[in-house]
Amino acid sequence: MNTRLLEKEWPALAVAIALGFGFLAATSPAFLTEFNIYVLLRSFCISLLVAFSQMTTLAVGQLNVSIGALGGLVAIVAGGLMEKLGVPIGVALAAGLALGALCGFVNGVLVTRTGIDGFIVTLATASVFDGINLGITKSIPFYKMPAALVAFGTARFHALPYLLIPPVLAAIALAIFLARTSLGRYLLAVGGNPQAAELSGVPRARIIVLAHSLSGFLAAGAALLALAQLGSAQPTIGSDWLILSFAAPIIGGAALGGGYVSVLATALAVVLLTLIQNGLVLEQVDPFWVEFLLGGLILAAVGFDRLRAARAGGG
Amino acid sequence: MTADKPATAGRLSILSLASSNLFGLAAIVAVFWAIFVSLTPNIASSFSLFAISRSLGIDIVVGFSTMVVLATGGMNLAIGSIGVCAVMFAGYLMQELGVPSPLALLAALMLGAASGWANGVTIVTTGANAFVVTLASASLFFGAMLITTHGTPFEGLPPELADFGRMRWGFVSPMLALALAIGVALAILFHFTALGREILSVGANTRAARMSGVRVGRAIVVAHTLSGLLAAVAGLMTMARLGAAIPAIGRDWLLPSFLAPVLGGTLLSGGAVSIGGTILGALLIATLRAGILTLQVANFWLQLFLGLVLLCSVALDRYRGGYLERKSARVRA
Amino acid sequence: MNSYPKSAVAAATLFALMALSSGAALASSNKIALMPGGPHPYFAPWEQAAADAKKDFGIGDVQYKVPAEWKLDLQTELMESLATQGYVGFGFFPGDAVGINSTLQELSANGGVSAALAGCAQDPTKAAFCLGTDVYKAAYVGAQALIKAMGGKGRIVHLAGLVIDPNTKLRMAAIEKAVGETNGAVTLVQHITDLDAQEAADQKINALLGAQKDQIDGLIATAYIPSTVAAKALRNLGDKRIKLIGMDDDKIVLDGIRDGFVAGTMAQNAYGQGYIGAYALDLLASGCKVKDDAPFQKTPQTAKFIDSGTVLIQKANVDTYADDLKKVTAEIQGGFKAKFLACK
Repeated sequence: MNTRLLEKEWPALAVAIALGFGFLAATSPAFLTEFNIYVLLRSFCISLLVAFSQMTTLAVGQLNVSIGALGGLVAIVAGGLMEKLGVPIGVALAAGLALGALCGFVNGVLVTRTGIDGFIVTLATASVFDGINLGITKSIPFYKMPAALVAFGTARFHALPYLLIPPVLAAIALAIFLARTSLGRYLLAVGGNPQAAELSGVPRARIIVLAHSLSGFLAAGAALLALAQLGSAQPTIGSDWLILSFAAPIIGGAALGGGYVSVLATALAVVLLTLIQNGLVLEQVDPFWVEFLLGGLILAAVGFDRLRAARAGGG
Repeated sequence: MTADKPATAGRLSILSLASSNLFGLAAIVAVFWAIFVSLTPNIASSFSLFAISRSLGIDIVVGFSTMVVLATGGMNLAIGSIGVCAVMFAGYLMQELGVPSPLALLAALMLGAASGWANGVTIVTTGANAFVVTLASASLFFGAMLITTHGTPFEGLPPELADFGRMRWGFVSPMLALALAIGVALAILFHFTALGREILSVGANTRAARMSGVRVGRAIVVAHTLSGLLAAVAGLMTMARLGAAIPAIGRDWLLPSFLAPVLGGTLLSGGAVSIGGTILGALLIATLRAGILTLQVANFWLQLFLGLVLLCSVALDRYRGGYLERKSARVRA
Repeated sequence: MNSYPKSAVAAATLFALMALSSGAALASSNKIALMPGGPHPYFAPWEQAAADAKKDFGIGDVQYKVPAEWKLDLQTELMESLATQGYVGFGFFPGDAVGINSTLQELSANGGVSAALAGCAQDPTKAAFCLGTDVYKAAYVGAQALIKAMGGKGRIVHLAGLVIDPNTKLRMAAIEKAVGETNGAVTLVQHITDLDAQEAADQKINALLGAQKDQIDGLIATAYIPSTVAAKALRNLGDKRIKLIGMDDDKIVLDGIRDGFVAGTMAQNAYGQGYIGAYALDLLASGCKVKDDAPFQKTPQTAKFIDSGTVLIQKANVDTYADDLKKVTAEIQGGFKAKFLACK
């Protein structure tokens, strides 16, 4: 029982989270208030989809550095549709998700058709997406979002933000998709051992395109959540997603080379990172120390996980 | 600069040279230069060439810094933080303590190498992923710099540094020469020394390398130390160019540092490096940026064009490679 | 004009172009660039300012040129590139107050003139002057307005931009000074920095409110993004008890003032900075010199500072402040030549 738990990433992350939670609850009386829990959860929503977006490309052994640029483009296109063209919310959101999937699809097709490294392709398309974003907006946000959307972005049931619904649904769907469907298993097979996968009849190119499309779709979801949360379509949405998108899946045990990802561990890694960010504000850390402590805490979390791995290896 | 054997005579050897990645990149760079110069002759003015050569020199060294860890199949997200730590340390030594500049620069280089070494040792001893370790250490290094300096720039540096930054040899900056010299040294390391080959063998297949007696841990530590050292070099070059030690140096190195080596044929998965390719990759990016700027493409659309042109040029390179492969197959048959 | 080294080879094109434009008798041949540090809504009025200045003063060309991203390297590259295309006047917002100086020196060695607009370059600099908002003063006045709005006592938090920006430290000092003058009636709980990205700002500011909304009485935001985010957050909370003084006149902040969620904001004169900057650069490029005894202000950053005017927007003037800024602009522009320049 014990060794089986030690073989997985998530128990170590859960313990680290529990420790952090306990520390913050003990030192900061405001931490456990309903409103603060709500604040924690609402930052968690977007980060979770961002992490999942990268996780799907990592599964097939690809890197997607265009996630942030893609998200920014989706946010301003959906925002522009609503403000300038008066498109209904539902249609605009659907268009945003479709655009995200389409951008991801383009990434995937470029990667598989040209055989260029995915890193280079997505770096170039990131520049393209950013360029279209800036060309449309000239860096000025769209302000007039429909009231219903903005209300959804701030609505909550006690400590639970409504915004939490889409990412939780996405997490469940992804977990089922990866573990229980043959398509999902193909995804991991392509990442784990491309040659073997191809020999056993997995359509490698199609699977890579699928992973990129899914990644784009999830990034678009994150962007639309950010749109609802910020209440305006900011051209800078997505600009600081990159590091987080890699950090969460990898802290959650995903291999950069592909073949292994964990929805649960990635989600817990996002919780941990959100908690660290929240804690640094809560504990009134000197601004010059924030960055240092952030690094120290990440390193500590990793060290904790390595301890577990060493125990698992030894036992 | 590369391991290519000198071309003998005959059609086949020309073809094999032609099909190498380097030739293709060089050809594409040449084509773009021809296009840009014919559209806007200004780009070939002495000042323009000088300015391009100077940023190119820095870009190349930043690319090398990532390339040496890519060789082992690892990565180093902390190069920007290491670079800025070295810069601020050098600035502090020169301005506050009055240390002579050669000594201060040497000390800063040591700090860079030591930071890289710390990364390497942490990765090897914990067995943690290089990505996560260097992500954390990037924050640690940068944070330590903030705590000690409070981000206050040092502007009272010895004037000879800024002079070096402005120095011109004809229409090129000595910065580019420095970068090329480092390239030669790296080429010797990777192609002619046992250590270099060990680093590559770790990247190609860690298990096989270990079985054949390579000290894997040492190779990884060496690669990270070298990466830290090169990051410090790039930081100090930027400092000379700006004539001041400012905390913003290195903030934006991350993606470009990967772009040049990977464009030039270095594998993200490790085991292969191309020094000439990294140089040409950086040159291609610098060319595209300078060309599109000089063409005065409408303000906010510049990013779009940069992305499209980059995609086209890479696709062109791939297409050419594929075409030559088919053709040479036919010749052989 | 002749300060470039004789040894420079093949420089003919560039220098010929520069000689042509700056040697011409009429101001109308100068090419002037107005350049922010990167894409940002604050600078949007510069586009109109460039077009207006070109028309009103008969300048050869005034272009609004934006670096593709907020990176010092891209800004200096764009400047170098524009210089090779014959631009002689550069009105810029420094991507880094210190880092920009070596490029300015090169521009100047090649006969170009430059002026810092909206934010200053750190002395010693080749920028002819800095026309901008006195960040120290603006933060100080803003903090005083906040303290007044809070009734002279309470606990405040400072929401700031990039921690490595030298201006952020000036703003911290200014707020600490204003707080210090209350003899303990007002306390500064903390500075929260690096709020320049929308989403990071949203998370940190909401975390702050989540933890201490009942303990803090006032917020002062000294950068564009945190003030919009804080205005939005207070509106979401429905909280009119916590007073907020913001920075700049983003629509979100102005709406907050109208509806009572924001106590006030420090509006800068973005249009005027671009308009007057282009005007002055054209004169400088045509041979005018900055007077030795020009009545500059001295700030911690530079000895050649000209205040472009700041207006504290509150409920009373939220719909009319644009006129106030226009008046300020006309005033500075009208007297600029006589006050600051010596022309032949």
